[in-house]
Amino acid sequence: MNKYCIVLLLILSFLFCACGRSSAVSAAGNDQLTEDADRSVTVTDQTGRTVTIEGEPQKIVSGYYISTSILIALGLKDKLKGIESKAEKRPIYRLSAPELISLPDVGSAKQFDFEKCASLDPDLVILPAKLQDSAQTLESLGIKVIFIDPEDENKLTEAIRLIGKTTFQEDRAAELIDSISAVSKELAEKTSTLEKPKVCITGNSNLLSVASGNMYQSYLIETAGGKNAADELTDKTWAEISYEQLLKWDPDYIIIAGEAGYSADDILNDTNLSECTAVKNRNVYQIPSSAESLDSPVPAGIYGSFWLASLLHPETVSDTDFINSISSFYKKFYGFEFSKE
Amino acid sequence: MDLNSVRNKRIFTCWLIAPVILFVMSLFIGRYPLSAAELLRGNSTHLNIFMNLRLGRALTALFGGFALGVSGFVFQCVFRNPLASPDVIGISSGASAGAAFGILFFSGTVSVILLSFTGALITLILTVLFSSLDRYEKSSTFVISGIIVHTIAQSVLMCLKITADPEKQLSSIEYWIMGSLNGISTGRIPFNLVLCIFCTCVLFVLYRRIMILTLSDEEAKMLGINVRRSRFLILLFASLSVSSVISLTGIISFISLLPAHIARLIRKDNSQTTMIMSGFIGGSVLLSADILAKSVSSSELPLSIFTSMIGTPVLIIYLLKERRID
Repeated sequence: MNKYCIVLLLILSFLFCACGRSSAVSAAGNDQLTEDADRSVTVTDQTGRTVTIEGEPQKIVSGYYISTSILIALGLKDKLKGIESKAEKRPIYRLSAPELISLPDVGSAKQFDFEKCASLDPDLVILPAKLQDSAQTLESLGIKVIFIDPEDENKLTEAIRLIGKTTFQEDRAAELIDSISAVSKELAEKTSTLEKPKVCITGNSNLLSVASGNMYQSYLIETAGGKNAADELTDKTWAEISYEQLLKWDPDYIIIAGEAGYSADDILNDTNLSECTAVKNRNVYQIPSSAESLDSPVPAGIYGSFWLASLLHPETVSDTDFINSISSFYKKFYGFEFSKE
Repeated sequence: MDLNSVRNKRIFTCWLIAPVILFVMSLFIGRYPLSAAELLRGNSTHLNIFMNLRLGRALTALFGGFALGVSGFVFQCVFRNPLASPDVIGISSGASAGAAFGILFFSGTVSVILLSFTGALITLILTVLFSSLDRYEKSSTFVISGIIVHTIAQSVLMCLKITADPEKQLSSIEYWIMGSLNGISTGRIPFNLVLCIFCTCVLFVLYRRIMILTLSDEEAKMLGINVRRSRFLILLFASLSVSSVISLTGIISFISLLPAHIARLIRKDNSQTTMIMSGFIGGSVLLSADILAKSVSSSELPLSIFTSMIGTPVLIIYLLKERRID
């Protein structure tokens, strides 16, 4: 019996150690930045790695559309020497930095091109946390790399601060963060006391995949003063559901992901959904994606919530407010005039 | 002997009733709280869900499972190989590649169904073409050309997957390959169901030829049938019925391979009753898998998980029984 107790104790103490360590890492990830006087900076990236950057990076490679978008907003587009695949498909580049489209392609999260990246001789590489296994390979090539993981607004703020720090653009980063949190605060003030309609966000691939309670999209709904009808799901990616499940949840609004291959008409004309409240009241809309898909955690992502709030609560948040606010945001940080179409 | 046949009859009746019970269960189990009282009262929401969603799904599971079970039996007889299934001649890879093409370049369920059916047909035609290159009329030629076509279809599928956006289409493709009856509504199934029922009926009509083909080619020739033509005809109809089902459901593991084995373990012969039974077992397994897939969690789960989970234990039980008798 005693032996079992000892084993149990050992296991428990091991578990405590493990827990302790992981919380230490996330605390460090938050804000443990130390700067040296000789313009070298040490940061902890969003996967918990410690990286020291010596001297202001002049050649930056970004393998993630979110970091690319952050870099543009920080005014660093001229220092970008390589970006992720399929850049030509992102209208934000065409609008704010057309020269990026012709930059060398370093691959995607699915397939990162180490050789191409090394040939660009970058001072700093920014990649999504999904690619963290490649850290060692890049380090052995003598390349500095940081990983970002902007899954929600806090983590996006952290990512912006991290990129600001490593590129020596802290002031601009702080300005960007302030703009985002001002909008977020404004929305919270306007919508927190209002009734929360049920909203379902359907995915890019088909109308029977929805955003679960664990996804960024769920956060987007809550910030806009709504309730995610699919809250009970805990999937990390779009969850496949049935027509019946959608009818059971009976959302007041169906919102289609920004880059979806189907339109609001497809849902409005789907006879299987004709009994759904959202369809009956014709409350089916697609998230604007004329510049960036506003349901992704890019710096302008908060405007996805702003836009949704203007649909859910038109009496307190007007469409003109949304257009004015997003236009001045894009004008200030990206240097172009926003239009909804 | 007499006792055995009584027992056999009882088992047969059990497997005959099982799909009927499961069919009714499937009609009344689902995410939406459907009530019989509301249905009788004529509540339009309830009626709509029942007629458009539940009925279509249950019918597809019943007839689809039946057709897959029967065609699995037929493939195993014709190739004289217990491991033969429609996968052997590349139909399912063809259907997958077709579906992936549909998911990538078109949107909407109907185009995916059409393209995966087309994909299955193309692989079937290619398999027949390649096998006709061989002057000798061996059944192994069919298998080899099947493997060739299967490999081609797989590489096409890989090419399509690599171009797919992981956030959008790739997950849909992966999901399709695991099989699901989600999204099927009554309006979308008539063509496929009629085709699969027709082909299955033809297979029953061709039963005598199928049995003759289980003999060696020489013996079959002596019995006066044209081996090559018969084999072609039988495989054509079996493949057509499989294609019409999997283009609706996606690839479902186990379902075309094991029902025939279970049926044969119970009946211990290759009679017509065994063939029917294999269909009923297929239908029952698919219906129960679908009931689980749509009710276990709020999100839809792929069918293949459950068909294997239900099917393999049944097979293991029968194998163990077999050993005890021996």
